[in-house]
Order: sequence, then structure tokens, then C-alpha cells
Amino acid sequence: MKRRTFLLGSVGFLFDATLPRPASAAVPQPYSWDLLPPMESRDAFISWGVKTRGEDPKFLGERFDRFRILVANRDVWNEANKRAFLMTPREEFCLKRNLDRAYDNAYLDIGYGVTISGPHVVGRMTSSIDVQRGEKVLEIGTGSGYQSAYLAHLTDKVWTIEIIRPLAERTRGVYDALIERGYSEFKSISTKNADGYYGWQEAAPFDKIIVTCGIDHIPPPLLQQLTPNGIMVIPVGPPGAQHILKVIKQQAGDGSITVARSDIYNGRIVPFVPFTKLEGDRIIGTHNQ
Amino acid sequence: MSLTILPKRCDGRAIPDPPVYFAVGLEAGAVIALQIAIMRIFAIGSWTHFGSLVVSLAMLGFGLMSTIMCIAKDWFARHWRLVCGAALIAFGPLAVAANLAAQQVPFNAVFLVSDPNQKWRLLANFLLYFTPFLAGAAFLGSVFLQAGTHFNRAYFADLLGSGLCGLVALGAMYVLAPENLILAPLLLWLAAALFWFFAVESRRMLVALAAAAIATFATHLWLAPALGLSQLAVSDYKGVAYARKFPDSQRVYAKNSPFGYLEIYASSYLHFAPGLSDNAAFNLKEFPVNAYEGMYIDGDGPEGIIRALPAAETDYYFYLPMIYPYLLKPDADTFVVQFGGGLSTAVALTKSRHVTVAESNPAVLDAFLNDAGLRRFTGDVLHDPRVSVVGYEGRLYLAHTARRYDVIDLSLADSTGLSNPGGFAIVEKFAYTREAMQTYMRALEPGGVLAVTLWNKEEPPKSVLKLYATMVEAARANGDADVAQEFFAASCYLSTTTVLYEKGGFPAAEVALLRKHTKAMSFDVVYDPGFRYDDTQTEKVLAGYRDQIFFDASKPPGDDIGDDGADAPPDTGMPDAEAGVVPATSMGRLAWHALIDGNFGDIARRYVFDARPLTNDRPYFAAYIKPLDLPRILDRLELVQDEWGYLLLWATLGVAALCASTLIVLPVIFGWRSVFSATPGKLRTMLYFACLGAGYIMVEVGLIATFVQALSNATVSAAILITGMLVASGLGSLASERFLDGAPSTLPKILLGIGALLVAYGLFIHAPLDWIGVLPYGPRLLFCFLLIFPPAFLMGFPMPTAMGSLARLEKDHMFLWAWGINGCFSVIGAALVPLVATSFGLSAVLFLSGAAYLLAIPAFFGVVLPIAARGPPDARRI
Repeated sequence: MKRRTFLLGSVGFLFDATLPRPASAAVPQPYSWDLLPPMESRDAFISWGVKTRGEDPKFLGERFDRFRILVANRDVWNEANKRAFLMTPREEFCLKRNLDRAYDNAYLDIGYGVTISGPHVVGRMTSSIDVQRGEKVLEIGTGSGYQSAYLAHLTDKVWTIEIIRPLAERTRGVYDALIERGYSEFKSISTKNADGYYGWQEAAPFDKIIVTCGIDHIPPPLLQQLTPNGIMVIPVGPPGAQHILKVIKQQAGDGSITVARSDIYNGRIVPFVPFTKLEGDRIIGTHNQ
Repeated sequence: MSLTILPKRCDGRAIPDPPVYFAVGLEAGAVIALQIAIMRIFAIGSWTHFGSLVVSLAMLGFGLMSTIMCIAKDWFARHWRLVCGAALIAFGPLAVAANLAAQQVPFNAVFLVSDPNQKWRLLANFLLYFTPFLAGAAFLGSVFLQAGTHFNRAYFADLLGSGLCGLVALGAMYVLAPENLILAPLLLWLAAALFWFFAVESRRMLVALAAAAIATFATHLWLAPALGLSQLAVSDYKGVAYARKFPDSQRVYAKNSPFGYLEIYASSYLHFAPGLSDNAAFNLKEFPVNAYEGMYIDGDGPEGIIRALPAAETDYYFYLPMIYPYLLKPDADTFVVQFGGGLSTAVALTKSRHVTVAESNPAVLDAFLNDAGLRRFTGDVLHDPRVSVVGYEGRLYLAHTARRYDVIDLSLADSTGLSNPGGFAIVEKFAYTREAMQTYMRALEPGGVLAVTLWNKEEPPKSVLKLYATMVEAARANGDADVAQEFFAASCYLSTTTVLYEKGGFPAAEVALLRKHTKAMSFDVVYDPGFRYDDTQTEKVLAGYRDQIFFDASKPPGDDIGDDGADAPPDTGMPDAEAGVVPATSMGRLAWHALIDGNFGDIARRYVFDARPLTNDRPYFAAYIKPLDLPRILDRLELVQDEWGYLLLWATLGVAALCASTLIVLPVIFGWRSVFSATPGKLRTMLYFACLGAGYIMVEVGLIATFVQALSNATVSAAILITGMLVASGLGSLASERFLDGAPSTLPKILLGIGALLVAYGLFIHAPLDWIGVLPYGPRLLFCFLLIFPPAFLMGFPMPTAMGSLARLEKDHMFLWAWGINGCFSVIGAALVPLVATSFGLSAVLFLSGAAYLLAIPAFFGVVLPIAARGPPDARRI
């Protein structure tokens, strides 16, 4: 009972910590798929972000710095994902006490024993499933909401499930507040609080599925809800050293179905630690140095 | 008030009173009980190995106190009653205050590297828990100083008290909830203080004690809960914390014991199917619903407990990796090496005429045998007429039974397979050693199958490579003629790996059947008889894995592919794998190829991580980072997050060495010229006590790990070793008094005897432990105690003899300094044990301890050099 009391107290504290958002100005220009942030110059991106999105120049600058590193590190490798990263205000999905580190490459605590993945993991994982506009994507483990927000800039059909009720409600609140401010792209995210093990049968099948919680096997209902030749990605391992398992549901000519497992680079081993220090045009060192 | 019981000098004026010895023994016991309580708090609230770090370093309190006392010796000599009284009274309140404060700034290992604040929180935890140990050290140090030539008696009380109270603290785990385990040291403290203040007849201090005791107990039991302050904050990242958040979660069982805090939760949100084939999703009509409850030990888990399933729902067993041996032996006489949550046993029962199942954790066994709810849920599986239960480790049973089995199963017995974000503690895994595998293989009928399934969620692969090497080496050690024919290995990428061994080799038809099943499950064949390996990939695979960890941090991956490649995923030059073959499988095949060819040593040397087999001497699935690679890993610690338990040991060693050397050097800075210049044999004295401090603790910690081989449980092993060694050494300390006069001639012989015994134990101890391991638990404890008695008894001599000699020679500063050096090197020695054991083996720990005792022989002659031999008489005092 005592421990319960403590947990509830902590939950209250965390909820408080999320309430004050870094900026709450309305978005000046309605969202459209044609919006394309400048990718060549930091200053141009910041002024574009202030003008079209009404965002804080400080975070816009940090986002662009991180973007440069992600591109150099091949964490994002196509135009759609580059755009999605630049369009997604990561700071809106972090706890207030972590705002200073919103664009660090580190994973951050969001309460309830859950983290918001580092930008490099989100970038690599999402780039590797190559979401096309119009494809249906299911996320298991909404968490902070950042992953689905990023997906909403790739497709207009996103479903996400969170198992922890207070977290699901908090994140729904974050989306609603952002939609209210003019981030209309987040209207395409459907959320629910449920056991993600069973997927979202009513909305199935999905072209892509992203699972972001630890499990000792791939839930059969998720494999069933994947379209033939659909792709599922699952990070495996502790937060700082996750490998991303890529599962492809293959349908043979005779209709028989098999599943192929690989990592997201189809068998190639890729160094994992991201590079975070940007000095001028050069990236120096790792974020632990 | 008269106090004559503690002679101040070596004049033999008085014999100490028993109450003082009770006070010393109980306070020493309170210190050790507090250590155990803090360890448990860390184990349940966050991660055990961080508890080890905090507690190990907190023991530096003894070093710090000796330094302070050494520097201000005269003040302490004048005010020793006040110091003893104040330190005693302060211990309890400090313990409770430190714990409450530490639990309000819980440290989260998950963010140790990524969040700079966590380092300060860890430091705060250490500094807070340090304070009660400082108080304990002040009391014991003052008493030791006053005991002087009768140090051996005070030391006897100290050792005996520590030993017996350690046992009391372990017993307390049966009756006290983890958050209240701190009450055990508090009660011991109260008893110690009562003995002391009655002995010194101080009414004023008794009143102060009463006030402190009321405040202490009231704060822990009443005030903290009333203010909503947690006495044990469980990290949100512990397995059990998630189960508690599920809306329909219900705790159906909870029991605390020295074997762990066992909790079982029921929830529809718990799903288990370890290693399930992905193809089950498309071939199986029905999956069992609500089939599991989750078992958590010390908040870690879950391990799935399977419900008794109706026959129609057991089809899904066919898609689990543990079905493999039964494909070949459908009506087997089966032995399940570890019951765990019962899944292996449930699978075995569908395909066996009889199942013998072993479970080494008495708490788990008790729950499944006796709890009505669990018996109902599991269909009372352990009372099934087709099931026989062995209440200790399977490997020990199999080593001594004449019965032979068709199938021996060891499936996923060691962990839940989910990643542990705080890393894993270094734990002995005797069930997976070469010797254990030899035992399993011998206990098979001709044509019988041993099946071992392990999680292989590591990339680069680690534990599975060790498993392959261990099993092949075991077959060779058994004298098997053609090991190439006897193995089959299949894996599911980032899931599980199963290795099958058939005594006498797999017939071709069986190999074909296994291959067919592996394909049907979409698993990968890693090895089978007739296996061919393409060795053109060897260099690239080994280099690729090395680069994955030790890549050049100044060069982004794919930098060499130019601007044209900016829209492509990174490519660091690893070859495109064979179609559908992931690198981990290629590495597994390379390992098998080398193992069968006999050149695995070379591959293991070139591989990025330690891949040497497990033996009884080095029974670890841990410490994969090679020591020489450590400096290169420091800027990429997150890559090896599951190794933090091991890396923390190096950190502990580093911090302990730094703190200890500071503490040892401080008295020298303050008083080397004025005090120590008159004291001959300084360096040898320092060496002597350093050898004793490190040597004793290394034997103790090393034997705790070694005795798990017979006792099957680290907690019981710690209990019997701590108690047995300290009691035996206490008796040795008491007996040493009569040898004090002839110490220069007697003690070297005793040290030589200790050294010889330790080397002999290092060489031969595994044989008696194997024999003891099969006895009933009571005799097992007795024989373990008898086994450690000879060296432990002798190890009680050197410390009090030398301290008594220093007191006799009136080397008072040296007396305190020596005590501090001994304490500091104890901390260093304790941190050194797992590092030596994982690299060189447990026997090396005993050899090293033996060498320390032998090195103490020449050093001892520096201890007994009389002051008068050098320096003018007036230089003896400052």
C-alpha cells in the first residue's frame, strides 16, 4: 500500500511536469503535404520554422543541428524522413525537466518506466520501413507520442496503442493540445489505451508495424494483422544499445506465408553510437566524450 | 563509573568484561546486518550490483575513521568513552535517516551514462549510506585502540558477532518485509548499546540512547509512512513495476526469504511464449488466452508460470524451441534440469512417460508445492503421478544417480530473456559449466538427447558462443569419438538458440527430421552433422563485429561512400550476407566450424568479446569485454549496457583504490616525520596489513562464489561462508593469545600453513564440493562449515597477533594506521575477486590470497621491530 501511495505521488508529479509546454503560440500556416522545410541552412530553417510553424527558434536551431548529424550518420536517408524529422517538434513530447536535452541523442525518461527513444533510433527505425504516403502504420507502445507524430509526417494513416492508461491519456492530451494549436497533421493519429499484444483488429491490415516494447516473442495477432509483404520493426535490447529487428511477412506464389527476420540493414553490421558534437561543418566525437 | 575492563596498555592490568564483548559483537553484527539490508534494498528497488558498489565503498568508513583516529590519536585516547558512546548512539538514527534520504533521491541506473544527474544521485546514495558505517567504525576503532594487547579478544568478539549476526540478518528475511529489513541491524544496535551503557554504568547516556531509539524506530515505522516517504522506492524500470501498472493486475503470491523476494502477479496483460516461431501466427488456429502468471524474484522478471492447459490448447508447444528433443523421443523418460515457471515441464509432460524435475530455489519449490492458488493454476503439476521432484540442483542429482534418461532439458532457465537496462550482476551459473554438461551427457541413455535452449538476444552474439564452446568441450572431455556427429544447433534471430546433443551421434534420418522442423519454424540451422562452412567470410565477420563496437568515433559510418550515398542506408563495408543469413548466424557457424576443427582458441582470441567456455572454475555468462579493451570502451558505454554490472566492478576497484590510497597516505602527510620516523618497519607493516586485508576478504568472497557449486544458492553460500569463516577466525583470534609471546617464530609457520592450504583448496576444492552437494541440506551446511574451518581458523591468527605486537611495542599510531590499511585493502580485495574470477578463474582468487599470506611472512618481521631499535625515546610521542 505504501509503495502504491508513492507511485501515485510520483505519477502526480510527472503529470505536473508535463503541463507547461515550451511554446504555445498558434501555428501560423495550416499544415499541408507541400510544406518543405529548408535543409541547406540553419538560419533559413529557423526563420522558416518561426514563420510557418510558430515554433521556438531555440528548439528549431537544436533540431537542425541534430538533423545535420542524423544525415551525416545515415540515421535518416531519404527526403521524406528528413522532412518528417524537421517537421516534428520533439520538444513537445519531452518532460519539462528534460527540455534542455530534448535534442540530445540520448533516450530520455518520460515516467512510468518508459523512455522516449533517441532521435537516431527513431530515424533509423522509421527510415528502414520506408513508409509511403497513404500506407497504414500501427505503433505498439505510444509512449511519449513522438514516434507517431513523426509518422504523421510520412502518412495520414497512423494508429497507436499504449498499455499504460495514465500515459495513454497524457499523450492523447499532448496531441489534442497540439491539434488545437494548429498541428492538424496529428489528426491522422488514432490512439487507444489497450493491450497492444492483440493489435488493432478493426483497423487491420497494416502495411507497417512498429513495436516499441520488450517482449519474449512477436505477438501472433500482429503478424496476422500485417499485410502480405508488410514489414514490422522491433527494437531489441536495453535502451542505449538497441538492435532493430526487422520482420518481413512473405507470401509465396502458392499463398503460403513465411516470416523472415533480419536486422534493419539486411545483414550488414553498422556502428551504433551516434555522433553528436557539431563544430562548424564537422562532427566531432561521440556524445559520451 | 569505573571502567577497568578495557586495558589501555599492554600491562595486563585487567581482563575485559563480557558485556563489553557483547557490545562489540552486537555492534559489529549490526554493521554487517546493515550491509545486508542495504544490499537487499538495492536488489529489490533497483539493481543488486549498484548495492554492492555502495556497500563496498561504505566500508571505507573503517579506513576513514582509522585515518582520523590516527591523525588525532591523543584526542581520541582522552575522549574514548565519549566517542564510543556518541558513535554508538548515532548509528541507529543515522542508518534510518540515511536510508530515508537515499530513497527520496533514487538513483536510476538506466540513465547513468545519458543523464549527468544520475552520477550525483549515485554519489548521494553512497555518501548517505556511508554515514552509519562511519559511526560503527568510530565505536569499534575506539574499543580496539583501548583493548591494546588484548586486541585479539575484542577482535574475537568482533568476528564472532559479525558471523552470527550475519546469520540473524538472513533469518530476519523470513519475517521482515524488504523495506523493514533494516529493523534487524537496528535491533542489534539497540542491544549492543544497552550492553555497552550498562557496562560503563552511564545513566545519562542510557537516557540519550532511549531517546535516540524511540526517534529511530518511530521515524522508520510511523513518521516516514505518515509523511508518505518511501523506505524502499522501487524503480519504474524494474520488471515488477510494469506488472503493477496493468489495470487488472493482481498479486496472488508474495513471500520474502533469503532466497529472494518472490512475487507472483496475475494479469491478462502478461503474455509469454519464449522463442515462439513466427510461423505459429499462420498455422495455429487457437492460442491459449490468460495462460500465464508472472513470477518476479526481487522485482526482476517476469518468468512465466504456465496454467494447466487442456490438450486442445497445447498445440502451440509445437512452435516453441523446447519441443526439439521430443521430435526424436516422443515417449521419453525425461529430466528437466530447472523447473522455473514450469513451461519446460509442461511441454515435457505432453511427450514423456515420466518427468523428473529439479528446482534449486527452495522458495520457488515451496510456492508450487504448497500454495493452494498456484497448485490450482498449474493443475498441481508437481504432485502429478508422472512427475518426480528433486529439491536441489539437477546437475548434482544427475552426477550421483544410476538412472539414465532419454531426454535431459535445460531450457531458458537462467533469465527472462528481456533486456535488463541496469545490466546484470556477475552470477555463477554452475548449471551451464563444462563439468555440468559432462554430467548431463553421461546421464543420457545411449541415443538420449540433451537439449539446451538459451536466449540469443545479444548482437554481437555473446552467451550462445560460450554455450557452443562449453558443450563441444564437454563432449570431448567425456571422450566422445566423433563430436561432429553429435550436435545440432538451430536459432531464431534475436530470440533463442537451441543446441541438441545426442549420445552416440544423430542418425541421418533424425538430422533430416530436425532440418525439416527448423525450416517449418523459420528458424536457422546453425550447425548439423555434415555441415560445411565457407571460410572466405571469416575475416570479414570477425572484423565487422570488432568494428561494430570499436569503430573509429571520428569518422561517421558510410563516410567513404561519398555524397551519392547520402540517400542510402549506412554501409561500413561488411559483406552482403549470404541470402537470408544474418551476421549472428554466420558468426555461430564460424564458431562451430572452429570448434569441430579444434581451432576455436584462435577464433575466440580474435572475436570482439570473450567467448571462452564456462567451467566450474569460471562459471560466468558475464564479463565479455576483454580487460585489454576496457580503455577503448569508455566513450561508448551505452553499447555495452548489459555489461554495466561487470564494468561497475572496475569502477568500484578504481574508486576503492583511489580512496584507500588517499586514506592510507593522509596519516603519513600529517605525521610521517614526527611520528612514523621513530617507528621502524613502516613499509613492511603496511605491506603486512595490506596482504591480510586483501587476502582475507578475497578468500571469503572467492569461497562464497565457489561454494555455490555445492549449496546451489548464492545467499545460502554467503550466509554459511560469512558465518563459518568469521566464527572460525574468531576462535583462531581467541586462541592466538597464547602464541603472542612466541609470535616471531610461530606466526610465519601459521602464515605458511594458510598459504599452503589456500593453494591446495584452489587446486582440489571442486571434488569435495561435488560430493557435499548431494547430501541433504543440513549435513551439506555442516560439511561446508567443516571444509572452511581449517584455513579460516588459522586466518584468525595473523591480524590479532600483529595488532597485539604493535600494542605491546607501543606503536599506537601504527596500530590505528594498520587497522585502517587492513580495512581499505579489504574493500580493494572484495572488488578484485570477481575481476580475477571472471578473467582467470576462482582458483586464481585462492592462489592470489595464498600468495598474499605468503608475502606477509617477510613483512611480519617489520611489524615486530621494536621502537627502541631506532630513534630517540622522546620521538615516540607528538
